[in-house]
Amino acid sequence: MTSSAAADAAKEGFSIRQRRRSGQALEGAMHCVFLVCGLSAVASVAFICIHVAVSGWPIIAKYGLDFLLGQSWNPGNSQFGVLPMITASVAATAAAMVVALPSGVLAAVFLAKIAPDRVSAVLRTFVDLLSGIPSVVYGLLGAILIVPKIFKIQSAAGLPAGGSLLAAAIMLAIMILPTIISVSETALRAVPKQYEDASLALGATKLQCVFKTTIPAAKSGITAGMALGIGRAAGEAMAVMMVAGNAAIMPSLLKPARLLTASIPIEWAYSSGVHREALYGIGLVLFVFIMALNITVRRIMKKGAGQGE
Amino acid sequence: MKKAIAILAALLMAASLASCANTPADAAQPALSGTVKTGGSTSVESVMTALIYQFQENNRSVTVNYEMNGSGDGIKNTISGLYEIGHSSRELKTDGSESGLDAVAYAIDGIAIIVNKANTTQTLTKDQVKGIYTGAITSWSEVGGQDALITVVTREEGSGTRSAFAEIIGLEKSGDDSTAIVSYAAVSDSTGAVQTTVSQNPDAIGYISFSEVDANQVNTVQYEGVTVSSDSLKDGTYKLKREFYLVTKQGATLTPAAQAFKDYVLGTDGQKIVGEKKLLPIK
Repeated sequence: MTSSAAADAAKEGFSIRQRRRSGQALEGAMHCVFLVCGLSAVASVAFICIHVAVSGWPIIAKYGLDFLLGQSWNPGNSQFGVLPMITASVAATAAAMVVALPSGVLAAVFLAKIAPDRVSAVLRTFVDLLSGIPSVVYGLLGAILIVPKIFKIQSAAGLPAGGSLLAAAIMLAIMILPTIISVSETALRAVPKQYEDASLALGATKLQCVFKTTIPAAKSGITAGMALGIGRAAGEAMAVMMVAGNAAIMPSLLKPARLLTASIPIEWAYSSGVHREALYGIGLVLFVFIMALNITVRRIMKKGAGQGE
Repeated sequence: MKKAIAILAALLMAASLASCANTPADAAQPALSGTVKTGGSTSVESVMTALIYQFQENNRSVTVNYEMNGSGDGIKNTISGLYEIGHSSRELKTDGSESGLDAVAYAIDGIAIIVNKANTTQTLTKDQVKGIYTGAITSWSEVGGQDALITVVTREEGSGTRSAFAEIIGLEKSGDDSTAIVSYAAVSDSTGAVQTTVSQNPDAIGYISFSEVDANQVNTVQYEGVTVSSDSLKDGTYKLKREFYLVTKQGATLTPAAQAFKDYVLGTDGQKIVGEKKLLPIK
């Protein structure tokens, strides 16, 4: 027995060593594969950054503040002021936030703290579905359902009926709801149970506990959800283009508005020369805007993680 | 399973052999082959797609590409030699930037002024259209329609339809507000988008290629008392119209396939297709 056991052991040792050697080769190969995959993401981002910056810069260099702060967009007459679009983008995003943030956070509270597990599981599925709907479908529904509803308000206000900033803001609010709900819900669920227990033990009602303890404790997560929502809203083009009316004028809630994102697809096909450079310039402005948002989100999330420790 | 795959493979091979055998036989008489690179105006889409389809049916070995990127790019890429034939829905500019090219008109397209089905306005004069698009006229009641503010819908900057419309109506590109399209006009980025917007908004007005008008969606308005139709285009009474052009380099010899395509478009068969697309054939 001893001799055969020894032989087995030796054999096993050999095979393990052999396996280890081939394993190392595989390990090395896979290391390379992962490295390439990882680098490809970095390379894509670097390429996009450089491309957008290089192609967007000339118009800004040429027109300077007239580009960023000019109020008149009239490419045929060499006027390339994008202030109307910047303000329209900011206004639409802000208005969408005003609607989506409170309702999103309250929905998250319901899902995380109030609804029975089974109900919240069903609701969560619907929220996820909402985030999966393609933006062009949102755009279609918005153009058919939301825009005509605003006609009456517009005519009451003495304005011509049509697409409006308000319609765009409502669309965006619906589109960013799922982001805000799911991120906020995760944040609310991550609040340590002791906090709530302590709050309840001190005699707080359930609602007091949620509003005075849980939400403040989940603040950084909710802020991150908000920032992600802002990012999505600011970057949305298709749906907005279909409901906003796209006139490049300084924004007003019931008047048509052209957002930064929509400007590019609307005019791309027929643009050429300086006009096309200006569209690249808009791309650059948008890119910087969204990058700044992303960096803010990361900061907030890091800060939140730091607080947790 | 393997047997099934083998049979399938054999069938596929037989089919591909058969198609190899067919193609040369079909293309035998004209003996044309190759790829014709063309591109430009999107307004000519429906007629050009039909022309290309039929031309390729007749000449199985020829492929005609058509990149839809606008008249401006069509002309520019013809100058640079990227396209053998460029599509333009506007005349060549005379400022020297588009010299060295030949433009041959092959169709006349009416620009229809469209309003919502519920709109009672029947007719508009040139001055009224101009007034509406410059913002001097803001209510339908001023032009014999309902008591509602007019929603002006226009095409995006750079569109061939927009530039043709603006030129005929007398809307200048200059910053002078009295002749420029109002800044608050809603902008739609395609013929279809204008039509959809107008069909959904009872107070909207827009302009699109007559060949693309869908009478189920929108009404056309008389321009200077004339209804847009194939007849009024033909007898010349409808004045809001522009031509579609094939643009080629001056003095350059086209490849046989490109020449054949050009001849086809201007020939009897091609012109018949032009007529079928609610356009007025040039011949």
